[in-house]
This record gives sequence, C-alpha cells and structure tokens, in this order.
Amino acid sequence: MANHSQFGFQDASSPIMEELVEFHDHALMVALAICSLVLYLLTLMLMEKLSSNTVDAQEVELIWTILPAIVLILLALPSLQILYMMDEIDEPDLTLKAIGHQWYWSYEYTDLKDLTFDSYMIPTAELPPGHFRLLEVDHRVVVPMESPIRIIVTADDVLHSWAVPSLGVKTDAIPGRLNQTSFITARPGIFYGQCSEICGANHSYMPIVVESTPLAHFESWSTLLSS
Amino acid sequence: MWICKDVCQSFKLLGFLDVQSVPCARESVLYGSLGSLVVGLGHFLATSRVRRSCDFAVGGFICTMLGYWFYCRYNLAQQRIRQRMLKEGMRNKILFEGSSLDPERKQTGNERSDS
Repeated sequence: MANHSQFGFQDASSPIMEELVEFHDHALMVALAICSLVLYLLTLMLMEKLSSNTVDAQEVELIWTILPAIVLILLALPSLQILYMMDEIDEPDLTLKAIGHQWYWSYEYTDLKDLTFDSYMIPTAELPPGHFRLLEVDHRVVVPMESPIRIIVTADDVLHSWAVPSLGVKTDAIPGRLNQTSFITARPGIFYGQCSEICGANHSYMPIVVESTPLAHFESWSTLLSS
Repeated sequence: MWICKDVCQSFKLLGFLDVQSVPCARESVLYGSLGSLVVGLGHFLATSRVRRSCDFAVGGFICTMLGYWFYCRYNLAQQRIRQRMLKEGMRNKILFEGSSLDPERKQTGNERSDS
C-alpha cells in the first residue's frame, strides 16, 4: 500500500509492474536530458541581445527535426514492448471474475466449483488495531503466487474500475461488458487497491485486497470456502 | 550499485528525478557532469572560445549521461535475467533432486553410458 504523502510508485509485485517502473525511470532520464538542454538554451536566449539577423536556418531546422524524432524513438520502442507484453495472456492457471457493485466487489472462482463471495470494506469502527483504514476488506481475493492469473472484470450497475497499483493492474468494470486482464504475483503478500472510476457516494469505500499465497495454502483456502 | 531507499532523504534533480532511489541515475548524472567538464574544458583549452565550449559542455553532459544510462541499464537487465535463471535453477534443483527429472542425474547417466 502507499505511505502517507507518497509520490512515487509502490514497490512492484509483478513482472509487468517492474517493467513499467523501469520504463518510467528511463522516461524520466530522457526528460532530464531534454530539460537540461532547454534550460541551457533558455539561459543563452536571455543573455543574448534580440536580433532578426537570421536568414538561413537550415542547420537548426535539421537539428530540431532529427533530435525530437530520436527522442520519440527512444521512448516509443520500450513503451510498445511493454504494451504488447501486457497483452500477452498465455494459458492462465486460474481465471476469476471480479464484478463491481455499488459499493463492493464480488468475486467468482468458477474454475473451483462455483466459489463466489462478496468483498466489503471493513468500516473504521470495526477495524482491528494495526489494520489499514479504508483499505481492509472482509474477504480478500486469494490467488496462488507465481502463477498466471486471468481476471475478468465487469460491473453490475455503474462504471467501476478494478485497480491494484503494485501489480500494475487497472481495468475498467463496465456493465454488460467483460474486460480481461492478467497478472503474475512475483512473491507472497497482500496487495491493496481501490476502485478507480467514480461510481457514487461510496466510491472511495470499496477497496480491493489481493492476497498471494503459496499454492498449497491457496488450495486449502479454496477447499475451506467451498465447503 | 548504490541505491538509497527509505534511509536517506530523497534528492530530486530538477524536482522530478530521484537520483538516489533510481538505479543507475546517480552514476549517470555524475559521469555526465564529468564528461561535460572534460569536453567543455578540453574544447576551451584547444580553441579559447567560451561560448562554443559551453555548447560542447552541455552536449557532452547529455551524451555522456545518456550513454552511461543505456550501458548501465543494459547491464542491470542482464543481471536481473541471470538472477531469475539462478533462482529458478536453485528451485528446480531442490524440487527435483534425487528424482528422475534431476538434470544432474541425467548428466551422470550420460557420462556413464559414454564410458
């Protein structure tokens, strides 16, 4: 989860999020180079006297055409690589459905004998000490770690969005439409997210909690819940 | 490679690049500064032209910084791949040791059959 006044990304917990963080660092480095150049040119212009002596500007026009093209290529290539990587869904081990309601999420594990449950936020008054306010839920989404998981997101009433920042997942939940996304949790842990599409009065109070566990624990959890 | 997480205070170059927590950023900026100094000073010593030397210094900074950045990130990516392969290899060794799927057992079996 995010700390108070956190400005940057949360720690990456999936390979895709790691790639996104690396691309972000790369983009910022390119931005630093461009800003340095612009700052220098600005300083030069401020120190020079104004003149309209320029007649032939072919060289500078060549430079300010080619340089931006190079910059765009430097940014576009890794960006497209990650974009296509995010679209790869090869043989997920588990498929589950997330349905947005006003104002809770419900999950269906139809791979596992029709296991379904609702996930409501735990109100602050009922929160045990040490738990996170506005983030904890009564039933978490439990998934096996290091396994490709496919999640199908939809909504029952209005638009919602299923988002877990540390996994690099954000998918709109649209009534009457099934949106598909996938992720792999790189390590066991608990990952928090919140609804990311305005959906009414309690939009801020329908969090998402994904719990990644070893496969044996996941199997015992699913058996317990199914029974 | 030096990465500063929660212990050090973050320092953001130009207000947005956290050089302490981004891998390779600190070294890139430092090498860029060194490159800028070398190129700018060298050009000035050779030509005594201040304005043009400043241009070269800025160009040297950008080129050296980006050049080292790509080199460092490439090495970092290779290191990550090696780490993943090592992790998977260690896990497979533990999982399959002594079983029919143990790759070391297959190798030893091949050596015996060759001899």
